[in-house]
Amino acid sequence: MGSHQPPQPWFRVGTLLSEKRSGVLMICSFLLPILIYSFVAYCPIFWGHAYELTIAARPDDKVEFGATYTQGFSMEEDEFTRFQKAIRDDNEKLTALYQQGDEADFGMSPRAARSHNKRLLREFEPVLSRNGLFDISVKEEMETKPYYQLLYGAAYDTWGEIATGKEQLQKGSLSEENREIIKKNWALLSSVSETYDSGKLYSKPIYKLIPQGNKQVARASWFPAPHQIIRRGWEDLTGKSELGDLNVPTRYLQSLKIVFFGFFVACLIGLPLALLAGTFSFFSRLIEPFTDFFRYMPAPAFSTILVVIFDIYDQPKIALVVLGTLPHLILMVANTTRMVDQPLLDAAQTLGARRGTLISKVIVPGILPHLYNDLRILLGWAWTWLVIAELIGAKSGLTEIIDTQGRRFHFDHVYPVILLIGITGFVTDQILASFRTVLFPYAASEKKGILSFAFAMVHKLFKSKKATS
Amino acid sequence: MSQIIDLPDYKEQSPEVASYFKDLKNRSKVLEVNRAGRVFASPKGEIEALKDVSLDVYQREFMTVIGQSGCGKSTLIRILAGLETTTSGNVLLDGEQITGPGSDRGMVFQGYTLFPWLTVKKNVMFGLQVSGKAMAECEKDALQWIDLVGLKKFANAYPHELSGGMKQRVAIARALANRPRILLMDEPFGALDAQTRAQMQAYLLEIWHHIDVTILFITHDLEEAVYLSDRILVLGANPGHVQEIIEVPVERPRRPEQFITAEFLATKKRLENLIHVSAPEHIDTSKMLGMG
Ligand SMILES: Nc1ncnc2c1ncn2[C@@H]1O[C@H](COP(=O)(O)OP(=O)(O)OP(=O)(O)O)[C@@H](O)[C@H]1O
Ligand SMILES: [Mg+2]
Repeated sequence: MGSHQPPQPWFRVGTLLSEKRSGVLMICSFLLPILIYSFVAYCPIFWGHAYELTIAARPDDKVEFGATYTQGFSMEEDEFTRFQKAIRDDNEKLTALYQQGDEADFGMSPRAARSHNKRLLREFEPVLSRNGLFDISVKEEMETKPYYQLLYGAAYDTWGEIATGKEQLQKGSLSEENREIIKKNWALLSSVSETYDSGKLYSKPIYKLIPQGNKQVARASWFPAPHQIIRRGWEDLTGKSELGDLNVPTRYLQSLKIVFFGFFVACLIGLPLALLAGTFSFFSRLIEPFTDFFRYMPAPAFSTILVVIFDIYDQPKIALVVLGTLPHLILMVANTTRMVDQPLLDAAQTLGARRGTLISKVIVPGILPHLYNDLRILLGWAWTWLVIAELIGAKSGLTEIIDTQGRRFHFDHVYPVILLIGITGFVTDQILASFRTVLFPYAASEKKGILSFAFAMVHKLFKSKKATS
Repeated sequence: MSQIIDLPDYKEQSPEVASYFKDLKNRSKVLEVNRAGRVFASPKGEIEALKDVSLDVYQREFMTVIGQSGCGKSTLIRILAGLETTTSGNVLLDGEQITGPGSDRGMVFQGYTLFPWLTVKKNVMFGLQVSGKAMAECEKDALQWIDLVGLKKFANAYPHELSGGMKQRVAIARALANRPRILLMDEPFGALDAQTRAQMQAYLLEIWHHIDVTILFITHDLEEAVYLSDRILVLGANPGHVQEIIEVPVERPRRPEQFITAEFLATKKRLENLIHVSAPEHIDTSKMLGMG
């Protein structure tokens, strides 16, 4: 089939590309933006580097390093280097003090030194939990004190193993430098006790671990990487994230309800009016001029009024969607109704059809495929009103997630929700579009969407399978 | 070698043809148009599309209206169908004034006017159903009409699956199914290619032969007019008025061979003169003599 045909050019005025080519391009049209986004997100030239702390520390210099540094804290590269240097300096000072012998003044009481040492043990927790040596989830079931006893014990034991070279930590979780520090520390600690005992803890300060971190591309908060969006999106969708009562699936249903209910009410009011206006000049003149004017008043402008009338819950939001969609619906459908072929009406009349039959048997079926299309477009509009609608009164639905998380700069929670809204609107539209060819086989088909393309492919596959069997 | 032949007068009728017309005019009048006029109001002033048009159409007559583009042919036929009103004069169907469109006057349009959402069968059933006939009867009738136009196999097809000629055949069946007193056809074959057109002409004559129906037919095509009609109404332009009503002196039943008979050519020539087709026509007599 077509093996001897010359290759068709990709660019030709007024010519449609083959099914296969348009399919490829359709996929590209989605792939390209994703690729560009990914490129920008992962490419360091745009952002520089940052370190996400895996081992935190607390420098003595509280002026320059005033923050509370914990695991996961993100630092730019040069800040991280200074941070490491500050700890090394602290350790050198400590070495100098130890060299002074017994009269050295460590600047802290034995009690303060012990709690300093405990803190250092505590800062080893990320390394422990990453290596499966300690389970932080027991924290929820335990009192604070016994929990920390357990943690200190685990850290203490592991340090002992590190010092004697028996431990098996994953590669990269501990630097050589820190290993040496732990060996020094263990020499100090084990001089008092080989196992952890809060009563028998070494009472002079031990050496600090040098901060470690994962090197990362330092993206702006509003530019989360695709993998972060996907991971966060999945967590949010499956309810595994920290969003709490902002549960995505229930919020999603809320939003769907607003959109579809609003759209439904708009259809209920708008369709009969539009049909009348499209059929009888009388109603057209009566209804359309004001509607035309009304649509220039932005629906959100009525939001406060709607809240006063309808309270703060779902009703004002639905009302806003109705208000936003209705004028367009009336004008669009009235126009479509008018576009019914005059010759068809003439023909029907010469066949004996009168007013009632003319509407029910010619106008309505005649505009149905176009009406279907109009409603699809209008449903898209209903979606665009959603976010504004959900902001009025008591914030609700997916918008509340966007709003609250966005204000906290948690854009990795925001993007999945925006995508969810987009995908839902798009997929609904595509499904409706592919039904159109089934419902109205006689109507000229429009340009193919990605879904109907996929359907066609599946259909073809199915057919060829049938043929071979 | 070619030469110009002398054509007989188009008014000369053979005895058969003369008696045919005598018989025709003894039949009852289906349609009477009395001094009908139509003025359209337009932004640039009034347009007089038709003025004092009078004509009678007899029972089972095949009458054709020809005239230049824009002379008011469509306006006239739409008035007869009741889709347009007269601004003066009146139109009688079987002696009664018409007041609007009705199923007693079927119409076939130049454009395709089948309902695209209905199958061929449902299209033909449309008028029958509107008239309130029982479903089963409608279906039976419709199938008969579809059979008559030779589209039995396509009864369940949708219009978009049919060729132009087939669509017009369905349109004819649909109009005839209502058993109208008169079938009005406004350039029904105008959009068809020459070959299909010739076929459709044959079909139409065949149907007209079988069914007792009066036909008023509009065309641009002079040969088509001569070939199909009993009488041809030539409509003059600006405003549309009756220029002449020609009795076609070609014997029935008509066959394609008659296209080059002297009477046929004479009538055609007359029509050409009437509607000012400027290009002179040379007739190849050797071909004619060969036909003998
Ligand atoms: N609805 C209308 N309003 C105003 N003028 C009209 C209207 N319908 C027809 N006319 C005018 O009446 C005249 C006759 O039009 P009509 O369509 O009857 O011509 P026609 O002989 O059928 O032409 P054609 O051979 O091109 O079909 C034209 O000048 C046209 O502009
Ligand atoms: Mg016309």
